[in-house]
Amino acid sequence: MLQYWTAILTEAAIFSVLALGIDMIWGWAGDFDLSAYAYFALGVYMTIIMTVGKAKSPVEYVLGWHLPYLLAVVLAVVVVVAFASIIGAIALRNLRDVYFSITTFGAVWAIYYLVENFTPLFNGYNGVFGLFDPMGGTLSYNAYHYLFFGFCLLVLFLVYLVVQRLSRSPFGRMVRAVRDDERAAAVYGRNVFWAKYRTYLFGAGLAGLSGGLFAAYIGAFNPLDWKPTEIFVLYAAILVGGRGNPRGVVLGSFIVYVGFVEMTRYIPSPEARPELGPALRQILIGLLIILMLKFRPSGLLPERLGTDGTRAQRSWRTRFSRSNVLADSLNDDVAIDPVRGVES
Amino acid sequence: MNIFWISIGMGMATAAILALSAVAFTLEYAVSRVVNLAHGEVLTIGAYAAYVSENNFHLNIYVCAVIATVAGALAGMALNFGLIERFRDQKPLSTLIATLGASLILQNLLLIGFGGASVSYGFAQGSLLHVGPFLWTTLTIRVMASAVVVAGLIYVLLQRTRLGKALRAVSQNRELAQVSGIPARGVVMQTWAVAGAISGFAGFLYGETIGTITPTIGNGFLLLSITAAVGGGLGRPYATLGGAVVLGLVMSIAGTYTSSAYQLVIAFGFLVVMLLIKPNGLFVRGRAQTVRA
Repeated sequence: MLQYWTAILTEAAIFSVLALGIDMIWGWAGDFDLSAYAYFALGVYMTIIMTVGKAKSPVEYVLGWHLPYLLAVVLAVVVVVAFASIIGAIALRNLRDVYFSITTFGAVWAIYYLVENFTPLFNGYNGVFGLFDPMGGTLSYNAYHYLFFGFCLLVLFLVYLVVQRLSRSPFGRMVRAVRDDERAAAVYGRNVFWAKYRTYLFGAGLAGLSGGLFAAYIGAFNPLDWKPTEIFVLYAAILVGGRGNPRGVVLGSFIVYVGFVEMTRYIPSPEARPELGPALRQILIGLLIILMLKFRPSGLLPERLGTDGTRAQRSWRTRFSRSNVLADSLNDDVAIDPVRGVES
Repeated sequence: MNIFWISIGMGMATAAILALSAVAFTLEYAVSRVVNLAHGEVLTIGAYAAYVSENNFHLNIYVCAVIATVAGALAGMALNFGLIERFRDQKPLSTLIATLGASLILQNLLLIGFGGASVSYGFAQGSLLHVGPFLWTTLTIRVMASAVVVAGLIYVLLQRTRLGKALRAVSQNRELAQVSGIPARGVVMQTWAVAGAISGFAGFLYGETIGTITPTIGNGFLLLSITAAVGGGLGRPYATLGGAVVLGLVMSIAGTYTSSAYQLVIAFGFLVVMLLIKPNGLFVRGRAQTVRA
C-alpha cells in the first residue's frame, strides 16, 4: 500500500510541476497553449537519451550520451526552452487568442507525427528506454523509490517557491496586466511580445523539467505515452484548483491525479472491453472542463495578487485605475468596467 | 511524371472531402465566432451512422449517405444547443476550451459504443479508371462529383435563399441582425444544422475513401480542416473552399516526394506560412484586419 501511494503521489508531484508551467502560460499570460505536452515529452526523450548511452541496433536515436542524471535534466531543459523559443516566436509575434491556440494545436500534432514516423530521432513508434539508476545501485528498489519521491517533492517545493515569488513580483503583475489589457499595458511602456514570450519560455522550461523527472519515473517512453490530448487532464487540474494561483494549481493537480487514479480502481474494466476504463476517464475530464468553465471558472482558490489579501482583479484595478480610463478612451470594447475604475 | 499526376488525382479526392469539412467548420465560425474543436467528432458520427445503417440494416449506399447527413445535422444542432449557446456570454477562448471538452466526451462515447477496432463499409469499391493523366476509381469519381454538387448547393443556399441572406447578416453582426428583425438564434441553429449535415456527409465520404472507420478518424481530419479554413480565410465559405483545394494539392504533391506519414507535418508548415505572410487568409481581399481576437 505504501508503494502504491508513493507511486501515485510521485506522479502527482511531477505533473504539478508541469501544471505550474502551463498555468504560467495560460493563467498569467492568457495564452491557451496546446503544445506544452510536446515540451514535456521532449524533456522526457532528451533526459533518457542523454543518460542511457549509445543506441543498440535495431533501436536508434540521436546523441546516446552517458551523462549524470541531474546534468542531463538541466541540458534537457535547455533544449526544450530553445525549441519552445521557435514555436513561441511564431505563435506569439502577431497571433493571439484562438489563432494562438490553433497554431500551437497544429504544432503539437506536427511534432507528434514527426517523432512517431522519423525513427532516427527518438526511435519512432517504439520509443526509447533504458535503465535509470542515478544512485549507482547502492539502494534497494523500495528505498530508491521513496528517495525519488522525496526528490520530486523537493523539486516541486522549490519550483512552487520560485513561481509563487514570481507571481507576486512586478513581473508577475505586469504579465497579468498585459493579459487583461494589451493596449493599456503597451501605452504604459510594456513590451507586450517580450512579456508574453518570457512567460512562455519559462513555462516551457518547467514543462521540460517535469519531463526530466518523469523520465526517471517511468524509464521508457514512446508516442503512446504522450498523446497530445493528455494535456486536457492538466487543464482540468488547473481549472479545478484555480487558474493563475500557484497554490490552487498544485492543489488541483493533486486532486485530479489522485482522484482519477483512485476512481479508476472502482470503474469496472472487463477483459473484453479494455478501452472502457480510460474512455470513461476521458469523458469525466471533458465534463469536468466544461462544468468548471461554465459554473466556476476561477476554481477552488481564485487568483490573488499583491500582499493585501484582496482579489487580484480588484487590487490591480485600484493600482492602475488611470490606465483603465485611458484604455477606455482608446478602445471601446475593452473588457474592464470603466465605472469601477473611476470609483476607486 | 506519371506518379506525379496520379498523386494529384488522389489529392483532388482528398481536397474534395476536405473542402466540405472545412466549409462546415468555417460556417460554424461565421455565425457563432467559435473555433469548434469538436468538429471532427461530427464527421465521425456521420461515418458511424452510415456504418450502422449499412452493417445492421443493409440499406443501400444512397440511403446510408442520407442517414449520415441527418445524423451530422442532429449532432451539429445538439452541439449548438447544448454547448455553444450556453457559452455565448463568455470569451471565444472559453468556448474553444469547452469544445475541446466536448470533443473528448464525444470521441470516447463513440469508443465505448463501437470499440477501438476499425470497421469498414461493405460497399463495392469500384473499378480503376484512367481519365486523362489521372488514375481514379469509380469511387473517387463519385466522391468528387458529390462534393462538387454539395459545394453548388452551398452556393445556392448562401446566395439565393432567405436563410443564406440571414446567415450572411448574422455572420457580419449578430446584434445588428437581431435588431433588424432577423431571428438570429434560429438562423444560428439552422446554420449549425447545415454545417452538421455537411460534416456528416463529409465523414461518410471520408470513411468510404480511406476504407476504415475508427473513433478518431474525424479528429485526425480536424487539423486539416482548420488549416484549410484559416489558410483560405476563416469565416468565409468561398475562401475556405479555395484554401481546401490548395491545401489538398500541396499535401498530395509534397506527399509524393516524402512519405504520406508526414501529411500533417506538411499541413502545419502550410498553416504557419499562411499565418505569417497572410494571416487573414489566402483568398480574402481588402485591408488586413487584425487577427488578435
